[in-house]
Amino acid sequence: MSLASTVPAAPGVYVGAANVIAAVMLLIEFGMLRQALARDQVRLYAAQSALISVLAVVIAADRNLPDLYVLAALSAGLKVVAVPLVLRRLLPATADEEEAAGVAGSQTVSPATAVLAGIVLAAFGFFSFGGLHVHGRAAPATALAIAAAMMLVAFGLMIVRRDVASQAIGFLALENSISLAALVVAAGLPLILETAFLFDLLVAIVVFGMLIRAHHARAESLSTADLTRLQG
Amino acid sequence: MSVALPIPLIQLLQVLTVAVGAPGVTGVIAKVEARLQGRRGPRIAQPYYDLAKLFRKEALAPEGASWFFLAAPVIAVAAYLTIPLLIPVLTSYPLPLGYMGDILGGGFLLSLASFVVATAALETGSPYAQLGSSRAKTFSAITEPVVLFVVFTVALLTGTDLPYALAATVRSSAGQVIRPAHLLAATALFMVILHETGRIPVETHSGTNEFGMIEEARAFEHSGPYFALLKWGSELKQLILFIILADVFLAPWGLAATQKAGAVVLAIAALLAKAVAVGCVVAVIDNSFAKLRLFKITEFVSAAFLLAVLGVFTLYLGGG
Repeated sequence: MSLASTVPAAPGVYVGAANVIAAVMLLIEFGMLRQALARDQVRLYAAQSALISVLAVVIAADRNLPDLYVLAALSAGLKVVAVPLVLRRLLPATADEEEAAGVAGSQTVSPATAVLAGIVLAAFGFFSFGGLHVHGRAAPATALAIAAAMMLVAFGLMIVRRDVASQAIGFLALENSISLAALVVAAGLPLILETAFLFDLLVAIVVFGMLIRAHHARAESLSTADLTRLQG
Repeated sequence: MSVALPIPLIQLLQVLTVAVGAPGVTGVIAKVEARLQGRRGPRIAQPYYDLAKLFRKEALAPEGASWFFLAAPVIAVAAYLTIPLLIPVLTSYPLPLGYMGDILGGGFLLSLASFVVATAALETGSPYAQLGSSRAKTFSAITEPVVLFVVFTVALLTGTDLPYALAATVRSSAGQVIRPAHLLAATALFMVILHETGRIPVETHSGTNEFGMIEEARAFEHSGPYFALLKWGSELKQLILFIILADVFLAPWGLAATQKAGAVVLAIAALLAKAVAVGCVVAVIDNSFAKLRLFKITEFVSAAFLLAVLGVFTLYLGGG
């Protein structure tokens, strides 16, 4: 077929699949940005974490890095099962309770505006990292740019939402994007180091758990809207 | 069945397949939808009976409406019947008139049809028809950027913006299918199609509540053969959009690669099967989601825009 001969070649199935997984992770991040309820955000976080494990398995299978299988299993156990369980324990159980706690409807801008702002942030991340031309030996460079976009969108999530729960989830999503970047640039890192980073997450969860509890005890709400006043 | 069909006949068959098949596809979707809701539903041929009945009826026009009111349905159907010449309906090789216009040309024809129908609705002075055309134009203005970014993605993928070229590219290797740009653009296009065909979550296509209507309300004042043309036109538009999604983006397989009569007949069957498959997905979506409030439609469109923009971004970085 003469039509297809002039076409630039596709990057290949492996690179394409890795990029698709990274892109879906970014889309889930946008889902968190527009999701009103904190427990839906936790669900999305679990899905995003599951995808990063899938990506680790794909890279392990294609690049012959058996360490990554262990890392994928550990990461799935921790981020897909443990962290969402703890978070759900900490958060209000029903939509009504979330409403009362100020989690639902804590957006400072409308979801459509938040998404458009997110696109701008993602574009900045994309092109600033895309210009660096970092090539790891495991995952493709596009995935690194997507990870950068995810980081900025996670910051955006923490900025546009006015409740402690979303900010915790934004922080955890930030950690996910850093894991993605780590998979791209340093997939061959010693397993012990990767595991140590993973367990840092537990510290973060404890800190956020205490923050959420303390804030709820003081303000009787998860909303940060009443933190603007100075107290002597 | 090894008779080679002449090229002009195949070209004509493309238009005929769409013209004759469109009400049938609508009928199948209505049937599937009814089964999903536990109803028996209308027979599959019902849209044909509806059209036949309307074509036999008397046509009336509101007082004060000009000739344009009656010309609009005809222009719209003519525009819809031109588009099958531009897109791969039956053949994987481009037919002579296939290069008459690119994707933008097809887009212009679709907007021309929608524009004349909206203008005719304005002619009537009926509040609901005007409300419908005003809303239809507003929302098509905000979906336009999504379509443009989908076209950009196609252009970056293939170096052209010809539908035949994209179909050939997608067929050429598995790597062209499993790449973020292609998948994101196809999903964005699917969301635009949900919007354009007036499906949930944007509009209930079978509802009778005027306040929720967008596209449906425009045909309120037309009657008889003219109303039949408008109905047929929206069925044509739906099938054309399904064909663009299936034959250009998602599954450009099963098209005739030769002029043999057997291959062309097989391509017609494959085409209708693909359109019905897309229709079934649409029917499932119709039954599993609620209609969005009118002011929430921007959120739906912003999600589609996000997909299309990310498609272009990943391509620019070279790896998409």
